[in-house]
Amino acid sequence: MNDLLIVLATIVLGPLVGGFLFGIDRRLTARLQGRYGPPIVQPFYDFIKLWSKSRIVVSQSQSLYVLGYLLFTITALCMFVLGQDLLITIFVLAFGGFSLIMGAYAVKSPYANFGAQREILQMVAYEPILMLAALAIYMQTHSFMVKDVFKLNHPLLISLPLIFVALLIVLTIKMRKSPFDISASAHAHQEIVRGVYTEYSGPYMALIELTHWYELLLVLGIIGIFWATNPIVGVVLALAAFVLEIVVDNIEARMTWPWMIKFVWTTGISLSVVNIGLLWLVR
Amino acid sequence: MGLVDTARVKSPWILHYDCGSCNGCDIEILACLTPLYDIERFGMVNVGNPKHADVLVITGPANVRNQRVLRNLYEQMPDPKAVMAIGTCACTGGVFHNCYNVLGGVDKVVPVDVYIPGCSVKPEAIIDGVVLALAKFAGKGGAK
Amino acid sequence: MGSIAQLVAVAVLLPLVAGLICYFVRSSAVRTFSVVVTAIALIVVSLLLLRNGPFEYSPPPMAGMEWGTIILVADMALLVLFLALGIYLKNVLVTVFAVAQGAIMGYVEFGMGIRTEVQPAFFVDELSIIMALVISIVGSLICVYALEYMKDHEHHLHLETSRQPRFFFYMVLFLGAMNALVFSNNLLWVYFFWEVTTLCSFMLIRHDLTEVSMVNATRALWMNSLGGVAFAAGIMFMLQQAHTLSLKELISGQTPGVAIILPLSLLVFAGFTKAAQMPFQSWLLGAMVAPTPVSALLHSSTMVKAGVYLIVRLAPAYVDTHLSTIVAVAGAFTFLLTATLAISQSNAKRVLAYSTISNLGLIIACAGINTSLAISAAIMLIIFHAISKALLFLCTGTIEHLIGSRDIEDMEGVVAKFPITGVITVIGVITMLLPPFAVLISKWAAIEASVNMPPIALIFIVGSAATTLFWVKWVGKLLTAPPTAVPIKAEKIAALYVAPLAILAALAVVLSILVAPVVDLVGKLAVAPYYKAAGIAAAGGDVSTGIGIATIWPLFLVLAVVIVPVYLFVRVRSEDVRPAYMCGENAAGVSTMEFRSVGDKPEMVNNSNYYFDKALGEASLNGWANPAAIALLVALVGVVVWR
Repeated sequence: MNDLLIVLATIVLGPLVGGFLFGIDRRLTARLQGRYGPPIVQPFYDFIKLWSKSRIVVSQSQSLYVLGYLLFTITALCMFVLGQDLLITIFVLAFGGFSLIMGAYAVKSPYANFGAQREILQMVAYEPILMLAALAIYMQTHSFMVKDVFKLNHPLLISLPLIFVALLIVLTIKMRKSPFDISASAHAHQEIVRGVYTEYSGPYMALIELTHWYELLLVLGIIGIFWATNPIVGVVLALAAFVLEIVVDNIEARMTWPWMIKFVWTTGISLSVVNIGLLWLVR
Repeated sequence: MGLVDTARVKSPWILHYDCGSCNGCDIEILACLTPLYDIERFGMVNVGNPKHADVLVITGPANVRNQRVLRNLYEQMPDPKAVMAIGTCACTGGVFHNCYNVLGGVDKVVPVDVYIPGCSVKPEAIIDGVVLALAKFAGKGGAK
Repeated sequence: MGSIAQLVAVAVLLPLVAGLICYFVRSSAVRTFSVVVTAIALIVVSLLLLRNGPFEYSPPPMAGMEWGTIILVADMALLVLFLALGIYLKNVLVTVFAVAQGAIMGYVEFGMGIRTEVQPAFFVDELSIIMALVISIVGSLICVYALEYMKDHEHHLHLETSRQPRFFFYMVLFLGAMNALVFSNNLLWVYFFWEVTTLCSFMLIRHDLTEVSMVNATRALWMNSLGGVAFAAGIMFMLQQAHTLSLKELISGQTPGVAIILPLSLLVFAGFTKAAQMPFQSWLLGAMVAPTPVSALLHSSTMVKAGVYLIVRLAPAYVDTHLSTIVAVAGAFTFLLTATLAISQSNAKRVLAYSTISNLGLIIACAGINTSLAISAAIMLIIFHAISKALLFLCTGTIEHLIGSRDIEDMEGVVAKFPITGVITVIGVITMLLPPFAVLISKWAAIEASVNMPPIALIFIVGSAATTLFWVKWVGKLLTAPPTAVPIKAEKIAALYVAPLAILAALAVVLSILVAPVVDLVGKLAVAPYYKAAGIAAAGGDVSTGIGIATIWPLFLVLAVVIVPVYLFVRVRSEDVRPAYMCGENAAGVSTMEFRSVGDKPEMVNNSNYYFDKALGEASLNGWANPAAIALLVALVGVVVWR
């Protein structure tokens, strides 16, 4: 019963938090660029406007893929919030990403095709980092369940600093920020038109926006548990990472996908391996 | 205004198409997106994709080659949508109106909601025109 | 005990009888009847064996001769046949290996002075029953599918006299040989049936008698014969050092692993060749020229599983030895490299072949990790990979007959053109790749089992990303559809084609939903007797590894919520359809996928996948990967000096 309440709270309140975070993102980006920027509630206006557009499709099955993306991302977030197995959560999130890619493949569109290829490459780039983070967390808590992180008596950031840095790279990719906004860029940017999202419109685009909000919460949550001993500090940590991403986005230029794979794998995996190696030696 | 109409007014996404303009009006449109005029504070975003766009912003006269493209882009935009013709060439054909391949203003190809004359149009005039277009947009409701 | 004898006899001997009927009676109706009856009988027998549980059985002498003697004679005859084949094919390796095996076997039987008979003859525990289920159910469905497939195949080739009698003889005989292999307790018997499967593989790969099929069949023969030599040598040393050839005794822990390390390494080496691990992967890739049922039966779900079966079966014998570590490293290496090599392939059967080798490497790596959880993961992978991979091979064969190509790029839009086949193929790929389906749950269990060997865990994790890449590219291509509201019509397709596909797809999905009983069978019954712990357990409908829990039913519920409402409620009207964005240059018409190119000429959009041929192609990777694999195998056998 408790679990059900937590899930309901996540599903209902999650978009509110996520939407505001995205609004802060655009406002902060604008301020960094010397502009005013839209109001913080702008994502909600965008969502309602998109929802009210007429429904046009390019493929008969588009709604299937959008729904898959949305529901599996929500499921991954709920599993995380309920403290479930982190590896399975990552795989369920991957199912959501898979669904989005299938939607881009389901239409014979050059831009969506490029977007799909690059989106797969992005997934291939960050998935090992996420799973290595789960492995490192296991080495600390001797469990893959997220709820066991809260039983640890020291914050994960102290013992897994390099993993944390690698996860920041993952956050950049997930938020679709430069230099890794390769398959589709964050709001108000274009890359290969809209990349994976090119052929979605109206209500389906609204659902995709909604899914982003949930996804952001999940990745920020994974970052937040690196200070699980004090939840307030954990939230601050997650928000600090969020602001860092926005700053990085405004400083960095967009790079190519070969560079992304090389950078994410060499840097991300090296950092993770070094951290895990050190943990193994001192165990 | 209802919630939906408010949202539509607060979040108009632009598709900018240059029909054959000399780029003078295009530069002014892009200037609106820069920090000096910053139309993103009104929620306007330049999306490159007609399927995501609400407002089609056209510069340059309609001609025999680009009428097909313009028609395609207009039809790939979901309802409700608004069209703005920016600059004299887009309104009537401007200095090119009796060239052999020019059909005239863009209203020969797509229905236009707002005409903004000028050669080239000042950013302030563009913003004025956008305010007018949004008022018409909110009133449109929109068929699903 | 009488009924056990009947079950074993049906499982082992009925396929031989049915095969002989198929060979000698040329009527296609009789052939269909024999194959279908054998299929049903094998499925029923394997299910009855499951209900019966583990048993030991020694068949009484037949016609005055002990079965051991019969098998010895048959083995020698088989080696003479291989020698003859080597001479006929003018292949030095086949000839030399046949002679070597004959010499070693002669020494073992007559020169060593130690008795080679073993009691009981058949030692059937849960692992054997699980293997028998996989062989009987998946194998039988493939043989039924082959009935329709070979008719089409020979029609395409315009054959005058049908060669199906020979084809089905080897296919059905093979099922019996595999059943006998997994039941046998005496390593000599396992060796004999192992060589029978080598023969079947050779005969079936060269079935079409084309130049390329002969070359590939020969390669398969010499590589498997090399494994045979290793097997024979392993038997010789095992007899010398352990004084027994009984699997039951060897895995019971009576003889410590370090005392029999050399024969164990040789037997594992044989398993490596049979499972086409690196550097032997070329024989399996070459075997893809055979008709698709051959690829499905032998080279993905069954014969190659004999290799991993031996390695998993012997795992309790080499637990906690350096051999186990090397097995884990070698298996993980193959898993990663072949998954990477699959990315650059656009031939669907080659992708499936590489994926098969990759999953076999994963199973072997789990056997090397050698904990209760790892072995449980290995057995679960054996089961679920066999089902899904067989399904995918059969789908690829069907698609090949429908569109005339096995290239992934040509399979664009199969779901729209041939919805039944297309959707089943998509289901097949999803069951291989995504949660909550059982193959992924088994991979998750494998990753969780590897946490105490972090380098292996790293390889598993990176390899898992590589597998995502090539599967997603393929299934995406299948799903591309034109922008139209016209409802998709089901294609006309023969029932004997669709039935095995549908049954395998349903089996894959249902067994994933009801994975809990399978987990209990594997963990509590198959693994716990040897490892003192279950490793993997079912917690309600979920799967628990002790350090993590995979929720199953909630995820299936979410999947149902995604699919069912869309299917029931979403209707696309033709006025809602728009063409894809091509900068406004779409050629006329909404359903067009053409754009106006140079000179206003309409040109079709040509989307293709990335294959990374230069970076990840065979030419780039094989150069260093094969030598590295050879080094690992040298370490595998050489570990005896290290203990």
